[in-house]
Amino acid sequence: MSELFPIILDASSYILILVLVALGLMIVFGMMGVINMAHGELFMIGAYVMVMAQGLGLPFLAGIILAPLVVGFLGLLIETALIRHIYHRPLDTILATWGLSIALKQLIVLIFGPESHSVALPIDGSVTLGAFTYPIYRLILMAVSAALIGGTFWLFVKTDFGLKARAVIARPDTAATLGIDTRRMYRWSFVIGTALAGLAGALVAPIISVDPQMGLGYLVPGFLSILVGGAGPLAGVLVGGAVVGGVSNLLAVWISPVAALITVYIIAILIIRLKPEGLLGGRRAK
Amino acid sequence: MRNSLIGIIVFGCLAVSPAFIGDYWTGQLSAYLVYGLLAISLSLVWGYGGILCFGQAMFFGIGGYIMAVFTKGMIYPDLTSSYLGLLAAMAGSAMFALALGFFLFAGRGISGAYLAIITLAIALVLERLMNNWYALGGYNGLLNVPPLKLVAFGLSYELWDKLPTFYIILGIVAAVFFAVTLLVNTSYGLLLTAIRTHPDRLSSLGYSVLNLRLSVFSLSAAIAGLAGALFVTLDGFASPTLIGFTLSTEALIWVAIGGKEMLLAAFLGAIFTRTAESWLSEIFGDYWILILGIAFMVSVVLLPKGLLATPFERLTRRKRVRPSSPAIAPSPPDPPSPPSGPD
Repeated sequence: MSELFPIILDASSYILILVLVALGLMIVFGMMGVINMAHGELFMIGAYVMVMAQGLGLPFLAGIILAPLVVGFLGLLIETALIRHIYHRPLDTILATWGLSIALKQLIVLIFGPESHSVALPIDGSVTLGAFTYPIYRLILMAVSAALIGGTFWLFVKTDFGLKARAVIARPDTAATLGIDTRRMYRWSFVIGTALAGLAGALVAPIISVDPQMGLGYLVPGFLSILVGGAGPLAGVLVGGAVVGGVSNLLAVWISPVAALITVYIIAILIIRLKPEGLLGGRRAK
Repeated sequence: MRNSLIGIIVFGCLAVSPAFIGDYWTGQLSAYLVYGLLAISLSLVWGYGGILCFGQAMFFGIGGYIMAVFTKGMIYPDLTSSYLGLLAAMAGSAMFALALGFFLFAGRGISGAYLAIITLAIALVLERLMNNWYALGGYNGLLNVPPLKLVAFGLSYELWDKLPTFYIILGIVAAVFFAVTLLVNTSYGLLLTAIRTHPDRLSSLGYSVLNLRLSVFSLSAAIAGLAGALFVTLDGFASPTLIGFTLSTEALIWVAIGGKEMLLAAFLGAIFTRTAESWLSEIFGDYWILILGIAFMVSVVLLPKGLLATPFERLTRRKRVRPSSPAIAPSPPDPPSPPSGPD
């Protein structure tokens, strides 16, 4: 029994990070119908902000604060320069953000080089509970991720901004008629989505190797989580993330990482094909 | 048909080019022609059929592997005919596309963004699978694939030299190009336009949308499979990179930069991008990929019809205007639309 604990904890921490990444994608996709293929690169840039902050000798917390600010600002620039010109062509947003993702990836290669970087753990200790030990940072990471996910839900369910945002998601035209500035809502949702990606990148930077190719490994599972869970209700991303992240993590331990990846993708593809509105129902694709 | 006149001029220029560019570039150009064939297949399924396939290289790779397995005699040692290999590659890719297409499009099929994500995921799965399929070489792929072998009237000739290989490939690519150009100018092409713009209206007129989608998906896969089969005979090996995600997205970039709704533009998009890559990556080094990414972005935003197709269309503008609105009606409201409106 006790050897199961670390596996379950690892799976939960992966699920929480995946949900955090997917949540940003989901806000952008659900609200604007924009598929942001550069989301993985924004996540990567968040991790690089952390690398840079540590290179400058700044404390870990400074990196955690800087990453969402830098990436969120980048999101603002991207929205202004790119996304707002192609809102009305949803399929072209896939291509344009794909170009953006290539450019960002290469920019990071040019600045930091193609090799991978590592970030020192801010807290080195581990907790011993009975027969097994577990690093403290991972536990903190899980708690912070869960709090961030909860905070995002609170923002979208309980605040005025959230009410307006959900109005824009459900009936964009009606919301605009009622005096909601949809343009503004799109812009700030995009910024929130990207800032979340940056923050997620900074948070996981100490436990993974930071390299320019790391984005894709989270982008595709992130999208699959959204589509598996259902792009309508926000809670869909929790279910989707749990299915995609949980199955892939557990299978990776029990069989092999390659078999896990193939199996998870096939399961996700089957679910998306057979139940396009996702496990939780909701609307079909925009 | 001034449109096909330009095609004839382009292929004529390509035919005389080996006299000017030397042996090395002739060899390179053969490979670019094959990439151009892949671009033609993607343009057919995406620009004409309205199916945004993010994993077009899977058909290229399947064709390549089938060709390699056949001509290396791994199935039956005495049966290593290049012709048979090419046929099997095309048939294999088309069959796979038929099965995949049925899975994707039957019933309340998926389309648009969902289709893009799913085809992307399938390409990733296939790449992983080939990386770990040790009977087919795994990560290293299949080495020592023989070159094309022409057999006619009891004579046989293996294409080891660059110049004859170039002309054979040019001949095949030109034949496919003109055949597809003819096809999209028939009533079938009109149906494709209809399926891209108003699939519901088409089905209410009694056409089977599923059959049409399957036909264009399989046809495009067969062309991509042919391209893959030709590619392995040029390079001499088939590796998992042929089937995967990177080549798929590169093909998307060529076709988008060239112009997805015009076969010739897509074809030239592939050739120009690859040529520019060989030249400019020496000058710009690592900045080249950055430039390519930005060029791709700019072309999608400002010239959605493509960098090459836009001037071509000026040249060949005819009275008949072909409607070409995107396959999916966008729902986000956006009153001040920039001048790049698709209609």
